[in-house]
Amino acid sequence: MITDVREDRLIVTSDTHIGSFFSNARPGLVRLLDYARAEGYNVCINGDGIDVLHSSLTKMTVEASALLPELRRIAERITIYYTIGNHDIILEHYMGDWGGIRLTPFLNVRSGARRIRVEHGHLYDPFLMKHPDLQPALTRFIGWCCRAYPPWYELEERIKHVRYRDIPRLFGRRNVTQSGIERPDENPAFFEAAEEIAQRAFDAVVFGHTHHPGVMPLGGNGAVYVNTGAWSRHPHYAVINDGEIELKPWNG
Amino acid sequence: MTSKFLDERVYEPGDVIFKEGDTSTEMFILQEGKVVITKDVAGHDVFLAMLERGDFFGEMALLDSQPRHATCSALVRTRVVAIKSGELLMKLRRDPTFALEMLQTMIRRIRYLDQQLVELMQDALPSRSQLDKLIAKSEYLNEGRK
Repeated sequence: MITDVREDRLIVTSDTHIGSFFSNARPGLVRLLDYARAEGYNVCINGDGIDVLHSSLTKMTVEASALLPELRRIAERITIYYTIGNHDIILEHYMGDWGGIRLTPFLNVRSGARRIRVEHGHLYDPFLMKHPDLQPALTRFIGWCCRAYPPWYELEERIKHVRYRDIPRLFGRRNVTQSGIERPDENPAFFEAAEEIAQRAFDAVVFGHTHHPGVMPLGGNGAVYVNTGAWSRHPHYAVINDGEIELKPWNG
Repeated sequence: MTSKFLDERVYEPGDVIFKEGDTSTEMFILQEGKVVITKDVAGHDVFLAMLERGDFFGEMALLDSQPRHATCSALVRTRVVAIKSGELLMKLRRDPTFALEMLQTMIRRIRYLDQQLVELMQDALPSRSQLDKLIAKSEYLNEGRK
């Protein structure tokens, strides 16, 4: 298992959920990988690249048989890292090299003079931490709910906004992390985890998992939190050049 | 991240962070700078390692409560975060992959030491009786499992 790498040019994206009933990200991801190859970037798919929990054998077979040859073709020219998330946790069985793709639980990237942590982030999800045994069944259940009632996902997002933004505002509270940084409308556990990781001399912490793309500072030492969001809504990718990290929308 | 939440310490070049034989038990994460680890061998400082930003050190004393095995000094102006023994479990709970990284680092050290040992033994291959003594000494490794 290789977790420490040197990469001066790296593209990171996440949560394409290929194989899911709700994802049509495969052609776009292949175009992003081709773009990376043409521009001389290596790529990290930062978790939930494929989705075995919101899928069927038929759907996964169709998607995987189309995606894997493309990944192998591109992996002949560039390095593709794949950090494992919660919807593809079964891939832990293949940790290491998997047909030219390097599977890893997280990446510590040295780029220029900076250190960047790339990790899916599901380990810090409060529900998954408390009930890891319930997670696959519950994720499948939510998948069925979304199939039966497509606005379900938007409803879930709305509940998060109310819980993490509207209710604290109602009581005149600001949502801030331990180090006093105001946070967007989602569970503070992810920012606090990113701050904890950044204490180990990381200049940036890149997560996926929450499906909320964005960049925010992490506190005293100038570290930043970057989230590459999800392809089901607004595809984004983070581009790293000699340690400088930037979040961009992907329109390809 | 900010100093009010962390035990951050700054050392100037040449400052000793801990000395061989000390009974302190914190471990340190190097935020900035460089440190050098040395060991006293027959009155001479023998260089063991140089560590850089992101590396950690001092974990041996924290984990086994033994006196410091080596001396650690700042090579340049150095900033570290100290983790006390009572804080390690909380740190691992909040940052679980740190445990994996500690194991990875220790495995790298064991591989390095094994390689050093093999090279030393190639220079002076031990006799059968010396090997038997070494094996007898290594039985302590299994004592904890009995």
